[in-house]
Amino acid sequence: MILVWAAEAVVLVLVVLGILVEAPLALAGTAAAGLAALVLVRVRPRLRAALAGAFAEHPTAALAGGAVCALALPFALRASPYWTFVATLALVYVVIGQGLNLQIGTAGLINLAGAAFAGLGAYTVGLLTVSAGWPAWLAFLAGPVVAVVVGTLLFVPILTTRGHYLALVTIAFVFIFNVLMNNLEFTGGPQGIKNIPTLRLFGYAFTTAPTVLGIALPAHANFYFAAVALAALATGVIRRLHDSWLGVALNTLRDDEIAAKCCGISIARAKLTAFCIGNFFIGLGGALYAVMVGFVSPPDFDFGYSLIMLSVIIIGGVDSIPGVVLGACLLVPLPERFRFLHEYRLLLYGVVILVMLLYRSQGLWPAAVRRYR
Amino acid sequence: MPPLELLFQQALNGLMLGVMYALIAVGFTLFFGVLDVIHFSHGDIYMLGAFAGLSVLTGLAAAGVGAPALALPLAFAASIVITGLIGVAAERVCVKPLARSSPLMTLLATLSLGLVIRESVLIFYPRGADPKPFPWLLPQGSFDVGGVVIRYENLAILAIGLAAMVAVDRIINRTRMGAAIRAVAQDPEAAQMMGVNLDRTVDATFFLGSGLAAVAGILSGLYYSEIHFIMGVTGGVIGFSAAAIGGLGNVYGAILGGLLFGLVQTMAAALIPRGSEFRDVVAFAVVLLFLVVRPSGILGAKSVERV
Repeated sequence: MILVWAAEAVVLVLVVLGILVEAPLALAGTAAAGLAALVLVRVRPRLRAALAGAFAEHPTAALAGGAVCALALPFALRASPYWTFVATLALVYVVIGQGLNLQIGTAGLINLAGAAFAGLGAYTVGLLTVSAGWPAWLAFLAGPVVAVVVGTLLFVPILTTRGHYLALVTIAFVFIFNVLMNNLEFTGGPQGIKNIPTLRLFGYAFTTAPTVLGIALPAHANFYFAAVALAALATGVIRRLHDSWLGVALNTLRDDEIAAKCCGISIARAKLTAFCIGNFFIGLGGALYAVMVGFVSPPDFDFGYSLIMLSVIIIGGVDSIPGVVLGACLLVPLPERFRFLHEYRLLLYGVVILVMLLYRSQGLWPAAVRRYR
Repeated sequence: MPPLELLFQQALNGLMLGVMYALIAVGFTLFFGVLDVIHFSHGDIYMLGAFAGLSVLTGLAAAGVGAPALALPLAFAASIVITGLIGVAAERVCVKPLARSSPLMTLLATLSLGLVIRESVLIFYPRGADPKPFPWLLPQGSFDVGGVVIRYENLAILAIGLAAMVAVDRIINRTRMGAAIRAVAQDPEAAQMMGVNLDRTVDATFFLGSGLAAVAGILSGLYYSEIHFIMGVTGGVIGFSAAAIGGLGNVYGAILGGLLFGLVQTMAAALIPRGSEFRDVVAFAVVLLFLVVRPSGILGAKSVERV
């Protein structure tokens, strides 16, 4: 148990140092330390086995340790509101990635409209609060529901078709969504929707900077904690679903539809269920983004973002639930850390995905083989 | 109801767009035929074709060869060869190695390859973020038939497009390589047993498809008189939609699908208020409708899966 917590503490310290250290020498030192830790774990099979055994033996302790680390992060980052924001964004991508992974990884449903469904969630929040005057939390709940409903409408025409048609429909949908948001009047056109009111809980506005245990945190810390909760919720729910009968059915129909049919799985129903649940979480991520940033506009939800969401899954590992968390926590902050590469960001994403697909298609954290006892 | 002349005018424009879409769609359908893959970076290959054509034209103009009658054929030929080779390289790098794994992998790989191509042009082409003006090389001027204005350049674009389609038809139906492509599309293993070299046939298919995309790219440059690095995204989506409407794997279906898509777009622009902003929405709605009513496409064979 000590080993588990020590390992997690080391990771947390390395992450915080990696984010905050400015001097090149110190940064190189941090990177070297991280690399050394990785290599050490790799080349010492006994250490590796001990770590794996410790994590397997004390899953509750590992989870609790992880939660403590996640909650402690804003305290370490309190000097920089910007990095708190980036960390929150990474968690938003965890929520979205879990939803998308259920569709793409578990069920093999190629959804390239992740950005559009997130946009539906975000725009719903914006429209309902700004134009219709709904309270923010109600609009926040309505966002994912709208994403699910629209997703279902899109999905019905292709229930009976096979192959690449879902990819076609979803790509087309991203473009239609962007055209509509840019040209419809009630969505604000290219200007988008400004001044989305923030979440309020029992009269407590999320934009006030919190003070926890006497330590003043940046205002985004509220959203960070909310995002931690939502990311944990999404990961937990998707994990339970993945382990459930539904997850097995989805894996089966992904690998062989005919075999799945022969086992008595209703292909259409299972696919639609996976698509809806996935879109719910994608829309939830979008809604969280909207209340956090307070502003939505069409370029925030174009096809490029669909590709970034996709790369989160591929880097982490297709159908791998911890992989999604890892992928989001790597892909979102890293380009921010290396701002000088910002121009090349999308190019690097593309190259990295391509290399991953060709040489390590199972991802950084491959999906584990299902085990039943 | 708009006047009849306007409808005819828009139909003509639709035909023009349709020819370009059809040329892209033929590539999608050919690749699907031989390897059973959707080559999602094909749209960006089309964009590369346009940029290759523009570069060649700029080079020729700098070298003093400015006469359209000489420069344009040269640009077409050079762009077809360059783009065709890039298409073959794309296939070798990220389509063929993944063709045996799940279709998801090819799809993701070609999507990211498209991203890489797009970003490379954006970053490495001089001032890649701006739309590039494309020189006016086709004869200007127009004549009038019953209120419908027909421009000479439009006729030229139509003629070039039609010539390219006839050439594809000849290549596929009359040459040895065409026979090999058809054989591989039907059954790769049986084709190999008959002595067809699979790798060479696949290469030839990608060269052919990418070359057609290059023609489409230059045509679109001539039509809009500007090209932009982002044009491949819409071009690719529309080409894929056209191929799907026509029936994936069927070359004539792809041509029909492309023409239909172009017509639907321009008709939507003519008939619906503020239609030009929403023409893509209407066109994709028609695609969706097709998927419901006729999922295998206009000319696609109904496939029966055997276990």
